[in-house]
Amino acid sequence: MTAPRTAGPTGGYAFKLVREGAGRRAIDVGRIRLGVTIGLFGIAFAVLAGRLVELTLFAEAEPRPTRVVAAKPEPGRAAIQDRNGLLLATNLTTASLYARPKAMLDVPGAAEKLARVLPEIDAASLTERLSGEKQFAWIKRHLTPRQQQEVNALGLPGIGLAPDHSRIYPQGALTAHVVGYVDPDSRGLAGIERSFDGALRRGEAAELSIDLRVQHALRDELLRSVERHQALAAAGLVMDIASGEILGMVSLPDFEPQRPGAAEREALFNRAALGVYEMGSTLKAFTTAMALELGATSLDHKFDARAPLQYARFSIRDDHPKNRWLSVSEVFVYSSNIGSARMAMDVGIARHRQFLGSLGLLEAVRLELLENGQPLVPRPWREINTLTIAFGHGLAITPVQLVAGYAALANGGIAVTPTLLKRTGPVEGRRVVSAETSVQMRRLMRAVVEQGTGKQAEAEGYLVGGKTGTAEKAGRGGYQRKALLSSFVGVFPADAPRFVILAVLDEPKGRKDTNGYATGGWTAAPAVARIVNRIAPVLGVMPTGRMPLDMLPPLIAPEAGAGGMFEEEPTRGPVHEIAAHGDQLATR
Amino acid sequence: MALDLGRVRRSLSTRDGDLTFGQRILGFRWLMLLLLAALVAIGVATLYSAGRGSFSPWADRQLLRFGVGLTALVVVALTDFRIWLRFAYAIYGVGLLLLVAVETIGTTAMGAQRWLDLGPVNIQPSELMKIAMVLALARYFHGLTLEAVARPHYLIPPLLMVFAPAILVMKQPDLGTALTLVLGGGAMFYLAGVRMWKFALVIAGALAAMPFLWERLRDYQKRRILMFLNPESDPLGAGYHIIQSKIALGSGGIFGKGFMQGTQSHLNFLPEKQTDFIFTMLAEEWGMVGGVFLLLLYAAVLGYGFALAVRIRHQFGRLVAMGIVNIMFIYVFVNIGMVMGVLPVVGIPLPLISYGGSAMLTLMAGFGLLIGAYIHREAPLGT
Repeated sequence: MTAPRTAGPTGGYAFKLVREGAGRRAIDVGRIRLGVTIGLFGIAFAVLAGRLVELTLFAEAEPRPTRVVAAKPEPGRAAIQDRNGLLLATNLTTASLYARPKAMLDVPGAAEKLARVLPEIDAASLTERLSGEKQFAWIKRHLTPRQQQEVNALGLPGIGLAPDHSRIYPQGALTAHVVGYVDPDSRGLAGIERSFDGALRRGEAAELSIDLRVQHALRDELLRSVERHQALAAAGLVMDIASGEILGMVSLPDFEPQRPGAAEREALFNRAALGVYEMGSTLKAFTTAMALELGATSLDHKFDARAPLQYARFSIRDDHPKNRWLSVSEVFVYSSNIGSARMAMDVGIARHRQFLGSLGLLEAVRLELLENGQPLVPRPWREINTLTIAFGHGLAITPVQLVAGYAALANGGIAVTPTLLKRTGPVEGRRVVSAETSVQMRRLMRAVVEQGTGKQAEAEGYLVGGKTGTAEKAGRGGYQRKALLSSFVGVFPADAPRFVILAVLDEPKGRKDTNGYATGGWTAAPAVARIVNRIAPVLGVMPTGRMPLDMLPPLIAPEAGAGGMFEEEPTRGPVHEIAAHGDQLATR
Repeated sequence: MALDLGRVRRSLSTRDGDLTFGQRILGFRWLMLLLLAALVAIGVATLYSAGRGSFSPWADRQLLRFGVGLTALVVVALTDFRIWLRFAYAIYGVGLLLLVAVETIGTTAMGAQRWLDLGPVNIQPSELMKIAMVLALARYFHGLTLEAVARPHYLIPPLLMVFAPAILVMKQPDLGTALTLVLGGGAMFYLAGVRMWKFALVIAGALAAMPFLWERLRDYQKRRILMFLNPESDPLGAGYHIIQSKIALGSGGIFGKGFMQGTQSHLNFLPEKQTDFIFTMLAEEWGMVGGVFLLLLYAAVLGYGFALAVRIRHQFGRLVAMGIVNIMFIYVFVNIGMVMGVLPVVGIPLPLISYGGSAMLTLMAGFGLLIGAYIHREAPLGT
């Protein structure tokens, strides 16, 4: 054993003096060993304290789910409202279910339990998704409160609920194409949600020009017409003629913005703003207005419609040929292709093109949507293009463009910019036709409803003017006789127009009670009549008696219906009296 | 050497074992009692919180047990220390008998057969065995010279004294107590002066026996060890305790969530919060600061225990005192190390804080021995 050691200078020293031999040495050895033991204990406690500090201070270093998610929706994505403040899109605070697979103890067991509570989850595929080196995975977004409670009751480690926000569309499909939709992280993907994504994120609410009451009537009646005529699709618009505000915009089929993923591609397509169509006869209004403005001197000026118009290898003919010279009024009211083509020919290619351009028909409108259709304009633009565009073929435009063009023709001649936002300031517009031409166009459009192809657009108690359109759709190898795009553009009240209404039906079918016709006059015009009857009361348009065209008082530029401000035009004598009349009608 | 024992005894009257009651009271180390009481107070407060702000079902009974333990401590401390020397082997023998008894007639609690039902009270002989083993080993080494200790065959009896109860306890199965017995016994061998190479021999032997022992472990014990060695391989949830414990500790932060505010424990995410995982709950509510404070308090108890031990002039008393301190240390280190994932999960309570009667009684009686050894530190016990 070891040699005797010197004892430490503690109390044991004295003890050493009285004890001898083995006992003393045992104490010496004991002392060293005790020191070692105490040292080891100290190290052990230091390890424990270090571990405690590590666990309590640095446990936070593990990524937390809320920080992993990069695209956390802003808590305050702003609401979208209609012009009267009704909610079209808003937020709901929800909770989303996530997993931190590394913290999970039994992935297959947890997946099975979750699948029992949330039937739309498949346990096998969830297990696969949560296996592997993942820090974080969403299991299901936006749980209902009941689902949240059931998941919580499972008490699964590694499974949690993170606060989330779900975008809610209280109006459902009603404003689907205008408002659009968002992805699960509340990023705008379509409609106003997309075009105003940044502003909405910043908390700036969007107040739209849409009037839910008008929107509802428009969609309801279009749905009815689609069903009645088994149409493939439909589009409809209601626009304030003075301000360019769109009060209603419908594209059918539509979809539930809450679940855009469940919708067909067809349904997501906004026909009213993004679709471009050869509109057919409704474009004759532009031809006629142009002729009145630039070519023909009066409504009585006559055009030769005695025979089909031959141009190169094309032959332009009328469906119900009058085989005589037709006045401007007659060309429009009877919807003569020959007469329209001759009118445009008189004006000439350059001025025709320039006129349509001034109405905004040759370039995409700047509506507050990213879904704005680019019109199909012929390049090069030859004489034959002028001839066909005169009666509505060879130029494809969006329904919004068509409605905006009609607004300019009917509102006194001022082109307005279509908008989906509620206007607050004065409306800027530029004159495209004279007030006289606008008055004449109103009379002509009224005559179409009274005497021409648009008789079924007559709405009881309201003066509706307008123009029908029935275009054969271009298909493979030329135009298809049976595939029609039938439309009606209405303006009302015809004596002092405030609104333009468009209904377009894609491939409507004829019925027994329409004598087999599927034309605009038989399909779209009745829809417009029904729409007028439903929206006039809510828009504050007073019903009036029926007035024959000739008895109409002379018309003038209307008072700006929705608060828009037109520059006052010098008008002729009789016009002043009706200005007062118009004021009365224009009260809102 | 001829020595007139009677004369020496008279001249060193304060050193003989016949201390008056007053002398014993004067020698009593009240500071040690104060430190232990502080630990118990922390434990009772934590149990009060674990009971959601109620003394029942844990805090009140824990206080009652402290009362019993306190009585035991005082009685043991004031008892003439020579009695313990005289009856050391007898006590050990009773402990061993009880362990055998529990093997045959014991009741099963929580899947392990550890308890002996003696009418009104259940006692856990494995707890008593810790003290008994310390006494027996101290008694054995007290009689040995260093030269004797150096001779290998003298080590066979004490090795049996350690491994016989350890194997019985392991059969219950109670890995924690078995480990405590082996480590506590080993520490006494070391302090008694057994040479290092003999430890190496025993450790090598233990390692050689590992495959055999491994086969004898229960499945859950194997899982715990495997899980500790490789925490990622944890498909069946054996790591649930530790994961929850670490989450709770991490959620406590520096200053904790506040008394009775520990969500992990109160929502029962934390298992066994009132017994083996009580440290986690305490650290969740009191944070790092609270946990470190508790560690310091334990360190103070152990350090003071050693300080008292070195002043005991007889080998028996010194070894008993240091053996008690060792047992205490093993409890603290294994328990806190376990809840923080430093050691595998073994069922060892946090001394004086965890809910449970046997451990409280064992330790209080043990510290009674320690204080008693100090009081009688100069008593001649012979060799």
